[in-house]
Amino acid sequence: MTPPSVAQTVVTGPSRTPAPRRDAWRRAWRSLTKAVWPLLAIVVLLIITVAAFAGPAIAPKDPNRQNIINRLQPPMQVDRAGVVQHYLGTDALGRDVLSRLIYGARVSLLVGFTAVFIGGALGVVLGMTAGFVGGRIDAFIMRLADIQLAFPFILLAIMFLVVLGSGVLNLVLILGIGQWVTYARIARAQTMSQREKEYVEAALALGARRASVLFKTILPNILAPLIVIASFNVASVILAEAALSFLGLGVPPTVPTWGGMLAESRDQLLAGRWWLAVYPGVAIMLTVLAFNILGDWLRDFLDPRLRGVD
Amino acid sequence: MAIRSLVIALALGLSLAFQAFAQAPDANTLVVAQSVDASKLDPADTGSRPEANIAAHLWGTLVQTTSDGDIVPYFAETWTTNDTGTEITFRMVPGLQCHDGEPLTAIDAAYSFNRAKDPELAFTGNTPGFIFASLGFVEARADSDLDVTIVMEQRNPIALGLIGEVFIHCMDSYMAMSKDEAADNPVGSGPYRFIEWIKDDRIVLERVADYPFAVEGAFERIVWRVIPEASTRAAELMDGNVDIVANVSPDQAATIDASGRATVQAVAGTRRIYVGFNLRDEFAASHDNPIAIEAINNVLVRRAMNHAVDVETICTQLLGTDCERATGLVNPPNDPPDLEPYAFDPEGAERLLDEAGYPRGADGVRFSIRLQSPNNRYLNDANVALAVGQYLSDVGVQTDVDLLDFSSVYVPLIIGGNMAGPLFLLGSGGATWNALYDMADLSRVDAGTNYTGWDNPDWFSGWDRIAATTDEAEQRVIVNEMLQVFYDDAPWLMMYFQPDFYGVSTRIDWDARRDEKVIVTDATLR
Repeated sequence: MTPPSVAQTVVTGPSRTPAPRRDAWRRAWRSLTKAVWPLLAIVVLLIITVAAFAGPAIAPKDPNRQNIINRLQPPMQVDRAGVVQHYLGTDALGRDVLSRLIYGARVSLLVGFTAVFIGGALGVVLGMTAGFVGGRIDAFIMRLADIQLAFPFILLAIMFLVVLGSGVLNLVLILGIGQWVTYARIARAQTMSQREKEYVEAALALGARRASVLFKTILPNILAPLIVIASFNVASVILAEAALSFLGLGVPPTVPTWGGMLAESRDQLLAGRWWLAVYPGVAIMLTVLAFNILGDWLRDFLDPRLRGVD
Repeated sequence: MAIRSLVIALALGLSLAFQAFAQAPDANTLVVAQSVDASKLDPADTGSRPEANIAAHLWGTLVQTTSDGDIVPYFAETWTTNDTGTEITFRMVPGLQCHDGEPLTAIDAAYSFNRAKDPELAFTGNTPGFIFASLGFVEARADSDLDVTIVMEQRNPIALGLIGEVFIHCMDSYMAMSKDEAADNPVGSGPYRFIEWIKDDRIVLERVADYPFAVEGAFERIVWRVIPEASTRAAELMDGNVDIVANVSPDQAATIDASGRATVQAVAGTRRIYVGFNLRDEFAASHDNPIAIEAINNVLVRRAMNHAVDVETICTQLLGTDCERATGLVNPPNDPPDLEPYAFDPEGAERLLDEAGYPRGADGVRFSIRLQSPNNRYLNDANVALAVGQYLSDVGVQTDVDLLDFSSVYVPLIIGGNMAGPLFLLGSGGATWNALYDMADLSRVDAGTNYTGWDNPDWFSGWDRIAATTDEAEQRVIVNEMLQVFYDDAPWLMMYFQPDFYGVSTRIDWDARRDEKVIVTDATLR
C-alpha cells in the first residue's frame, strides 16, 4: 500500500478560525463513534502498542528460548499433563510463536514510528525552508528530492543495508531518510501558500525572526496534512521493514520480527506448517490496515470541506 | 475489435512464456536444480561443490574415484610409481580429443596441472588451494604423447585420489584465452559439451557423440538450473519440472514422498560439520573480547564446549535423521575404532569450565562469546548454529550467534583472512576412501584449510612419519595417534557428518552418492 500522493492530501489553512482544543477532541470522539472502522483501528493499534510496551510482562515465554525437542508444534497442542504450553505453536527451533509475535510488535512499531519521525522532521525542515526561502535553495532541495524519487526505494534500502550492515539503527535510519521527500514536497507547497498570507506578513512586519515565523507561525497551520501523511506512512514503513527482514536485510535473525518470522516460515509452508506464516502475516496486515483506516479518517476529519459530512 | 485481438495475443504470449519457464523436461533431457550458480567454469579453478558438479561432466580426469571409494582408470589406462614414491607416470588412452576437435595428449594433461599452479594466473580454486597443497605437487611433465608424470615433494598414500580431482583440458584452446575468457567459455574434454550459460538461471550441456566412456542410455541434454529457495526447488520437483534436487530440506521430505512424482533419497554424507575455535594470534590481536580469546585457548574450555552440545538431538530434530557424533575429522569407517565421541554432559561441561577458571557470575554467565555461521550454505546451518548457541548458553557461555551471507560475507571473512570467530561453524568436504584425505585439511600449519590456525606439533610431525613408511598397517597406527591428539586437544567442537537429502523424480533411475558429487552420466529414464 503506498502513501497518498500530494494531490490526494487536503490543503488546510489558517482561514478557518481555530476551534478551542476541547471542542476539537469532542468533535473527534463524535466522528469516531459515528464511523465504526476508525474506532476499531484505534482499538487494534492500542492492543498492538500495549503488546509492544508490555512484551516482557505479557509474553508467556522467552521469545528466544529454544527447545528443539518441541519444535514445530501446532497451535493449542496439549502436553501430557493436558496443558497448552504454546497457544500459537512453536517454530523450527521450538520457540514460542506467540511470544515472538508479541516481541515482534516492538520492532515493527519502533521502526515504523521512529523512521516516520526522522523522515518527517527532515522533510518538514527542508520543505519549509525551500518553500519559504525559494530561489537556489528551493531548487537544490527539490532536485535532491527528484533524484531520490528516481531510485526505487526498496533497492536503495537494500544497497545501503548491504554496505552499512543490518541492524535496527541502520534500518531505522535508511527507512527514515527514505521518507523525507514526501514530507518535504507537502511542507514546501503548504509553506509557499502560507507565506503570502496576511498573518505571516504581519508577523514579519512586527520584526519576528524568519526562523520564528517559519516554525512558530507557519508550522502549526500546515501540520494537519502532514499528520495525515504520517499516519499512512507508518503503515508503509512497517511493510518495508517486513520486506527487508524477509530478505534477511532487516534486523539480525536473532531478534524476533514479523518479517523475519515470515522469512523463517518459507521452508515449512510446503509441509503444511501454516501457523508459522499466518500469524505474523495477519499481524502485519492488521497493523497496516489499522494505520490506513486511521489515516483515511484523519484526512476526512481534518478536511474543512468535509466537515459535517459522514 | 483491435483491443480484443490485442488481449488475446497478450494472453497467448503470456501462456507461452510461462510454459517455457515451467515446462516439464522431455525424455532426452535431465534437469538438475542446485541452490547456487557456478561463478566460473574454468577447469583449473573450480571452487564450490555445485561448480565442481558441472565441471565433472565437462572435463575428464586421469583416474576416477567411484562412489565406493575405488580408484579406476579413466583418461589414464595404467600408471606406475617410482621407487621413492615421488613420481607417478600415467599412460593415457590413445585417440582422446577435446570438444573443439583438438587431440588430447599427455602434453595437454601436463599443461592442465601446471596451468593450475601458474602464479601469473593466481587461481584459488580446489585444485591449487587444496589438491596441490595436500599432494605436495611440484610439477607435471609429458614424457611422450601418451605418458605424463606427476612429481610430488614426497610419497603420498592418497596421491591417486587427489590427482583424480584435477580436470584435464586442451592446451591450445586455453593458451588462446585470457583468464577471464576461459572462465566463461569452457572447452571440455568430458562426456558433455557446453551449450549455453544464462547466469543465475541455467547451464545447458549436450552429450558428446562417440565419447569413449559414454554410459548407455544416458540423457542427451543436462540442464543445471539455479533455484536458490529450498521450497521452490521442492515445488518444481513435485510439479515435474526438475528431475534431481540437491539440498532438500528434511522438513519437506514427507511432502515430497507423498507427492507421487518424486522421492527423497537420504544418504550419510561425508561433509564434516564443525564449530572451529579460532586460535590464530592475528585474530586474537584484533578481537574485542579478550576473555573469550583467552578461554578458547584453554583446552579444558574447548573440551567443556564439546561436552555442552547435544549433537545427537540436533541431528534428530534439525536434520531429520539419526547420526553418530564425530570423534574427529575423519569419516567412518576410517575413524579410529577406539575413540568414543564426546558425550553430551552439561554437568561435566560446567565442572570443566569451573576447573578452567571460568565460574558462573552473579548473572549466571561465565563469559560471552560470538559464534559466526553461514546462513543457507549447509543443511539447516542457521538453525544448527542457533541451537549450538543455546546449548553453550545453557552452561553459562553466553553465545551470540551471528548469521552471515555465505558468498558475500562469510567466505571473504574465513577464507580471505581467517578472521571469523572466535567460534565459527563450517563444513568441509570429506571422503570415505582414505582417512588421510580427510586429515589433509590439516596437512600443514599454513594449509589454506587449517581455518582454526591449530599448530599442535604432535599432529603436524605425524605427516613426515606417514611419508616415511609404505606399510599401510604402520601408517594406520600413526593415523590413530594423530587422531587421538586431535581428539584430546579439540581444536574443533566436533559435530556430525552432514546427511544429504536429494529429491529424485520418479521418472528416472539415479542413486545419490555419499560424497556430495552429483554425477548424472549414469542417470537413465525409467
